[in-house]
Amino acid sequence: MGKVLEAAGVSKRFLGLQALKEVTLHLEEGEILAVIGPNGAGKSTLLNLLSGLIKPDQGRILFLGQDITHLPPEARTHLGLGRAFQIVQPFPELTVRENLLVGALFGKPGTSRKEGEAWVEEVLRLTGLQSRSEALAGDLTLLEDKRLELARALATRPKVLLLDEVMAGLRPKEAEEAVALVKQIRETGVSILFIEHVMPVVRTLADRVVVLDYGEVIAEGTYQEVAQDPRVREAYLGRRA
Amino acid sequence: MELLLQTLLNGILMSGIYALVATGLALSLGVVGIVNFAHGEFLMMGAFLSYLLFAFRGMDPLLSLGLAFLAAFVVGALTYQGLIRPVLRAAELNQMLLTFGLSILLQNLALLLFGADTRVVAPPYQATTLSLGPFFLGVVPFGAFLLSLAILLMLQVFLTRSRFGLAMRAVSQNRLAPGLLGIEADKVYLLAFGLAAALAGVAGVMLSVMLYASPTVGFVFTLKSFAIVALAGLGNLKGVVPAALVLAMAEALVSTYLPGGGGLVEAVFFLVLFLALVGRAWRKA
Amino acid sequence: MKGFGHFPLILLSLVLFALLPFLPFGVWQAFLLDVGFFVLLFTALALSWDLVARTGQLSLAHGAFFGLGAYSAGLLAPQLGTLPALLLGALTAGAGALVLGSVTLRLHGLYFAIASLAFSEVLRTLALKLPFTGGPIGLPVPPPFAGAWPLATYYLSFGVLLLATALSLWAERSPFRLAQAATRQSEAVARVLGVRVVQVKLWSLLLGSLVAGLAGGVYGMKTLFLSPYDAFSLGRAVEALVIPIFGGLYTTLGPLVGGVVLVSLEQALRLWIKEGYLVVYGAILILVILFLPRGLVGILGRRRG
Repeated sequence: MGKVLEAAGVSKRFLGLQALKEVTLHLEEGEILAVIGPNGAGKSTLLNLLSGLIKPDQGRILFLGQDITHLPPEARTHLGLGRAFQIVQPFPELTVRENLLVGALFGKPGTSRKEGEAWVEEVLRLTGLQSRSEALAGDLTLLEDKRLELARALATRPKVLLLDEVMAGLRPKEAEEAVALVKQIRETGVSILFIEHVMPVVRTLADRVVVLDYGEVIAEGTYQEVAQDPRVREAYLGRRA
Repeated sequence: MELLLQTLLNGILMSGIYALVATGLALSLGVVGIVNFAHGEFLMMGAFLSYLLFAFRGMDPLLSLGLAFLAAFVVGALTYQGLIRPVLRAAELNQMLLTFGLSILLQNLALLLFGADTRVVAPPYQATTLSLGPFFLGVVPFGAFLLSLAILLMLQVFLTRSRFGLAMRAVSQNRLAPGLLGIEADKVYLLAFGLAAALAGVAGVMLSVMLYASPTVGFVFTLKSFAIVALAGLGNLKGVVPAALVLAMAEALVSTYLPGGGGLVEAVFFLVLFLALVGRAWRKA
Repeated sequence: MKGFGHFPLILLSLVLFALLPFLPFGVWQAFLLDVGFFVLLFTALALSWDLVARTGQLSLAHGAFFGLGAYSAGLLAPQLGTLPALLLGALTAGAGALVLGSVTLRLHGLYFAIASLAFSEVLRTLALKLPFTGGPIGLPVPPPFAGAWPLATYYLSFGVLLLATALSLWAERSPFRLAQAATRQSEAVARVLGVRVVQVKLWSLLLGSLVAGLAGGVYGMKTLFLSPYDAFSLGRAVEALVIPIFGGLYTTLGPLVGGVVLVSLEQALRLWIKEGYLVVYGAILILVILFLPRGLVGILGRRRG
């Protein structure tokens, strides 16, 4: 076991607003880590920093021991850092298969068309999208969209997968299926960092939980540990009261 | 020194019309959310209307102003109803290409009707100049400048005091809200688009005296307005006047001081437009 | 991938164009060859515009690429000969495209379009003002191969179309199509999936501008005279974009069909109307956007990607 992904003292301001303040956290190999926190705690900013869509003002990001702070998103993907978006963003004018093929062919440079296509079949099977492979991505249902989002990230053959609230909007039954799918992905040797609002999902899925509030890490531990933490309870309950 | 001051004076006088036209473009961009490539063609129509009224009815362009305002408003409103409204929810690309198509259509229609010649409206006072100490002030540019300022002031009052004006500003500040406004939003869009066209139409009348009417005179102003609006910050109405001032002065300086500057004047605008767009994009990231 | 269904149709039209000079048209021969020349050239230009548009970059600078190619080839042809001059003309256009592309990488949609328009107008002003271009008076251009072969311009034009078609078909059937489509539909998502968006955009713009520059060079050798107003005309960019929109965006067949129909129509109209024939382009643009957003190819009921 070792650290596969690490954020070291990462800060980010937007227009004078401190979105993240010296956040330090890491993901262990083979682990499923949940990052939770109230709305506006900086979770999405964190994910955007990790995947390279924005650059931190301070701090470093390490992936498999390599400093990737200044690498653009595509280079991070090539190294094996995949990401699924919260608001599903399929390419609507491409079919499901073609959507996955984008990830499979460009996610790992040097992938031949044949290898890419074979891997896409595998991902289609794993995610249960086979029957919809020729449908235009613009025509999918929400559940199918979510699967596609996950599948497309998987198609890039990540070693680490960043998931942004992939359960949002799903019914409990559907969320259960998605949880099973995420677990299955971990079984293939992928480490996972995910952001989530739905607490039952966090409880069943996460090995470890990091809690953000106002852009700072306020607690870290197992689900039971952070659930007992007075600061966490205050962050969640105090805000609502 | 006198030459410099005279040059700056010329620039200031020109900035009024630029601000007038660009404010119209900013209105359609800020309120309706449409980048209207055909904006200058409303100006071109105003200029030709002024020319026709002058040539065949002997009407003074000062009188044509009101008529052009109304006519352009109607044309703008009809354009909104017939062409813009159907694509309000379409892709940005389609909206842009539609107004681009309208611009090409109107330009070439004018070319078919009037030919490529430039037509000047020459009322008796056209060449009159006032001398202000060592400086010269054309009556027409000076009048156009004052008129533009007056119209912009009236617009300002309308936007801040009237109910419709407030609704317009509300829409421009929150692009999500119009969905909630429903029918109201549709009316606001119609009014804003008509008003934008009317501002250009009035400017067209002024230009028919100061410069000329020609099929392509409008498109140049569309581009110049893009430059001003891009410099002001897209859709930002308040920034339009200073941006117009900066560009008009830059243009005047280039045309006076650069050898053969006359032909380079256009390039100044495009260069500013290009740099403003590129600069914005890189700063934002 | 896609496009195999259209291939026979594309091949057939190419063969027809190759044989056009040898078909028995009698007195119409010369006129038809002229029309054919412009159909080939502007269809190639349209394909080159579409190639760029597939990444979401709406170029209004295709008139400028065309003009850069035309002027460079026209200036160099007397010293270097026809083919090297054409090649260098294309490369000049390519260099211009790389400059434009690299500073506008972060501009999207209509902001890229407006910036490319401004770029195009600045270049036209330069063509008017630079000491070696002949300015507003214009630049005489020698005919290709010293006029040794009357059909030379026609077949040069055919060659440009072949190149444009080949590039378009390649881009349509290779993984490059997916990279372009992903870039167009969402740059951020494309990058996170590993697509090198910057490269995809620059390559597309470069390839498109090379073809446009080549077309410009051949154009000068046909008209034997260039003026900045003609060579750098915004009207050229308009044609380059209306043809694919009319025929069907993001396809090879669309611009081909659109080009044959529209450019023939334009050449016929020019017989009646000297100026203002662009009215038709304006009207078609409006009507197609309102009523036929997928173009002629869309009527055939094929989906695009």
